[in-house]
Amino acid sequence: MARWALISGLRGDLEAYEAIQADLRHTRRVDTLFVLGDVIGPERECDALRLSQGEAAVDALLQAVDPGHMGWLAALQFGFIELDCALLHGSSAAVDDSLGPNSSPLLLLDRLTRMDVNRLFTARSGRQFRLELTGGGIDSQVRDLESQRHQQQSVPQRQVIGIGAGVRYTLYDPGSDRLDFLSAGSKPQQRPRGFA
Amino acid sequence: MVQGKDLDPAAIEVTLTVRLIAMPQSHAVISCLHANLAALEAVLADIDQQGIATITCLGDLVGYGPQPNEVVDLVRQRAIPTCQGCWDEDIIEGLNACDCSYPSQLAERRGHLAHQWTAEQLSEESKAFLASLPMSLRRDRLLFVHGSPNSQHEYLLPDMDAFAALERVESAGAETLFCGHTHRPYVRELREGSIRVRQMSGEPAGVAEAEDRELRLPLRRIINAGSVGEPRHGNTNPTYVIHDEDIGAVEIRELPYEVERTCSAIVDAGLPPIFAWRLRHGFEYAERADDASHVCER
Ligand SMILES: [Zn+2]
Ligand SMILES: [Zn+2]
Repeated sequence: MARWALISGLRGDLEAYEAIQADLRHTRRVDTLFVLGDVIGPERECDALRLSQGEAAVDALLQAVDPGHMGWLAALQFGFIELDCALLHGSSAAVDDSLGPNSSPLLLLDRLTRMDVNRLFTARSGRQFRLELTGGGIDSQVRDLESQRHQQQSVPQRQVIGIGAGVRYTLYDPGSDRLDFLSAGSKPQQRPRGFA
Repeated sequence: MVQGKDLDPAAIEVTLTVRLIAMPQSHAVISCLHANLAALEAVLADIDQQGIATITCLGDLVGYGPQPNEVVDLVRQRAIPTCQGCWDEDIIEGLNACDCSYPSQLAERRGHLAHQWTAEQLSEESKAFLASLPMSLRRDRLLFVHGSPNSQHEYLLPDMDAFAALERVESAGAETLFCGHTHRPYVRELREGSIRVRQMSGEPAGVAEAEDRELRLPLRRIINAGSVGEPRHGNTNPTYVIHDEDIGAVEIRELPYEVERTCSAIVDAGLPPIFAWRLRHGFEYAERADDASHVCER
């Protein structure tokens, strides 16, 4: 199965975008590029992109994303749902929700539950990380006027993944669950960081 | 179990005294009065009869029922600390609620009719009072909200995901969360929770190392007060809760009232007769949330 490239935080930085494109063209087997926000927003560098390369460059950037997904993005506001993955700028709670490696596991689990997904890709913090929920559980007792119910719930095997920002981007293979954290333009010095 | 031979009469006396002093720690929580004066009067009389002085109200003073101004006036007279419900918010802000404010489309159409009627009936003074209500009230580690700490419109259903439920209480910095909005009372205890995570960082550059950690979750409670004026738990009786802060005990109270008094007033007011029908049955299938796991994202 082909892989996904996940990028964010370009903020109109055309060089970073071109470095990632060159990376993807030459070496990687990628069939879908997901842009998780902060590409052409109201940031100041966006104008620089427009001025130096014209609207065509912005259009080209937009065209890298499947038009159907763009429509979905606009409609959903929160991001994309692909297979069992949510691809978001912030989180399911808010677009500016910044999830990082030190976020409370309870918060991460809640954000996964809200979207009912197994993988949540987030960009807001700009960090590259993978947090895997590996175990645990909770006891719940509910009493109402009719009955008392006791329930044991386990922590589902789910993950939150920070995809990075700018030249630091992420490749994901949904078939094998393999994840690579990369930095465009620095291949010779740095081996991809893969987790299966 | 303490054996008889160990009992010291003085100790028994001390225990009894402590118990009596502790009694005033009981407080009552009411919610979703929905302009039903007869039900509110019955509940307040029941609370008074038990000598409970502290009452907290979780909002939805108006909507569906025929006496919105009377109910607002009574809550103000009794100086009951109250937070703002979904109906209170919508009446003063106009209908800007998200789709999930009503559990079904049928409920939504009826809700709009009731909204219009209530907005016309409410005095400017009542509206100003509803507008002044806070989103939440806090007493030490007790937090009082209408729907959830996130929104007056979010339903905390009794069987929602246990971790998500705990997250609502924890993120709000509370130990016990009182809510309403579902019109079905319940007490939920979340205990012995833990979450294990494995963290792998992609930075700084170098060999990735996995780090395992475990979060132990504290015991937390969610107490839903049900509804005074619009019960939907299966019969016509208003419900509310009495909480004893010292021992953490919660009693879900249910009592009868003159339901026909309110039903006639609904019909006389020209409100949709379905609201009288629902009061007489205490339940309506159309009011059942279509998706119990739905989370309000407003
Ligand atoms: Zn209500
Ligand atoms: Zn409500």
